[in-house]
Amino acid sequence: MLVRAIGLEKSYGGADGQPIRVLAGVDLEVKAGEFVAIVGASGSGKSTLLNLLGLLEPADAGEIWFDELRVSHLSRRAQARVRGTRIGYVFQSFLLISGMTALDNVLLSARYIGRDRRSALAEAAALMARLGVAHRSGHYPAQLSGGEQQRVAYCRAVLNGPPLVLADEPTGSVDDEHARVILAELRALTRERRASVILVTHRAEAAAEGDRVLRLRDGRLEPA
Amino acid sequence: MNPRAWLPRGYLFTVLGIAVGVAGLVALGAMAERISRFIEGGDRFVLGQISVAGEGMGMGAGFTAGGLLRSAKIGEIARVPGVAAVQPQVMLPLRTSTSQFLTLTQELVLGLDLSVPMPNRNYQVLPVRAGRFLAPGDRGVAVVGADFAASRRLRVGSAVTLDGATFKVVGTLDKTLTAPDRFAFVAIADARDLWLRRDPLLVQVFGAGTLGRADLNSGAAVGWRPGEDPDGLARRIQSAVGGVNVTIPGELSRLLRESTAFFSALLFGIGALGLVIGGLSLSNTVTAAVFERIRDFGIKRALGATDLQLLREVLAEALGVSLSGGAVGVGLALGIGFLVDARVIRQGQQLFLFSPRLLVFALAFALVLGGLAAAYATLRIVRLSPADAIRRGA
Repeated sequence: MLVRAIGLEKSYGGADGQPIRVLAGVDLEVKAGEFVAIVGASGSGKSTLLNLLGLLEPADAGEIWFDELRVSHLSRRAQARVRGTRIGYVFQSFLLISGMTALDNVLLSARYIGRDRRSALAEAAALMARLGVAHRSGHYPAQLSGGEQQRVAYCRAVLNGPPLVLADEPTGSVDDEHARVILAELRALTRERRASVILVTHRAEAAAEGDRVLRLRDGRLEPA
Repeated sequence: MNPRAWLPRGYLFTVLGIAVGVAGLVALGAMAERISRFIEGGDRFVLGQISVAGEGMGMGAGFTAGGLLRSAKIGEIARVPGVAAVQPQVMLPLRTSTSQFLTLTQELVLGLDLSVPMPNRNYQVLPVRAGRFLAPGDRGVAVVGADFAASRRLRVGSAVTLDGATFKVVGTLDKTLTAPDRFAFVAIADARDLWLRRDPLLVQVFGAGTLGRADLNSGAAVGWRPGEDPDGLARRIQSAVGGVNVTIPGELSRLLRESTAFFSALLFGIGALGLVIGGLSLSNTVTAAVFERIRDFGIKRALGATDLQLLREVLAEALGVSLSGGAVGVGLALGIGFLVDARVIRQGQQLFLFSPRLLVFALAFALVLGGLAAAYATLRIVRLSPADAIRRGA
């Protein structure tokens, strides 16, 4: 899937009521199977850009296209459908639901797009086994280590085989070994499934995994 | 059964919070129901018969003790066109020190002339829980109301002392939640003996030979023929028979309602208080529980949940939790009510009435309000973007 962002702008209200401009016209194109790493100083707007690309919040201006579909201007319901079927998220803080077991957290991504539970269950079990967390499937997030939570979150992100995976500092809260596992999985996604991966990170070794590395500075993207 | 299997994880305190609100609603409602049933029962009684007492005494006092209604007068009443039956009665307060005005709340001995069928249209047969009701020819036996029996631990076969005379209990009545619960019914001949024993002046008059035993009546219950207007008939008795006090059923009902207006207002206040306290507690608990999960909703929307899917999910959970909380609350209120009533029954009282309509209403109230509160909170949350919801819930 070809992902295109054109002139994305985003501002937030500051403490004094004045808007703080975070993105000032971001243009980006990511091809199918491409791994793009985005780096930038803390507060430069990396996560905001990922949120806009993932339709988690609206841009003030600009457009987002997935192939020939202008997803930024779809209805709320249609955007929800796009999020469920075409986008996978891996967050730095995992964002697992504390009241659900690891397996139920993974299966959650299949629930809202109406996937057959049996096939999703088999796929989730295989995925969790591959990531080494199958034995923790009945545990709640609080009973898992940080690395295990991140692997469960990764399983949830890719269960539906999304053509776009957005990873926001996925290695930021885990040790080096777990970071390597996650990065290797993301890289494998681009090769095996031709998925596009956009990784936001401040770790040089993580950024080095990217086919391209871009830097977000003053609200715009530039080659790093 | 593992509660986790049916109760969503993390909802225990929500269920308890709802339970407290519903328990308050049910307990206050049960007190209101109790008062309401009492007032309704009294109203049904006065509307079911024309009560006649001897002249010269106030209505309440004359009817319960003192106002003599001689047999000649009873005969005259029976001859008034439209009268179906006249049942002579002797009604004696068990504790003479008690205010005689409160005839509906005091314990009474009621002597009935069982040669005449019960004329009260609304209480022709009193519900017998155990044993039997009085029969013509009975002497030295009593049938007691539910509270009267409970406060003295009487059962069929027990002996009960009324004004120094011992009676054998041959029957206990089901609870009616109104005046007869505190009555001891005896044959009119026994009641006349009790009256004579109690009142020395009456003994002197009786001893002088001016009165016969059949003249010793404190009042009479008058029934009317089908199609007869009871108020009109009462007025005809009043004008046709001199020297008696006749109650007009419609007027007495109005007077009763006026005199219980305070209780009706209290009843309304208790009910409103119950709804407000229970409703606020419940809706606040459910709303807080939904808002606590704002981050979860953000995550679910990031995973593709639509507003409608989220609303359905939250409603299903809220209804389950509200129903669980409602059921626990009802159980809590029932427990408290039974404990309190077990204590006050020693004074022949009952404070709570957990009617089926109250319990159904409380559960329905919990469900509707829980659903509305959950829907309100969810609609507030889905207005946020998924990223905002995740940020706010972090």
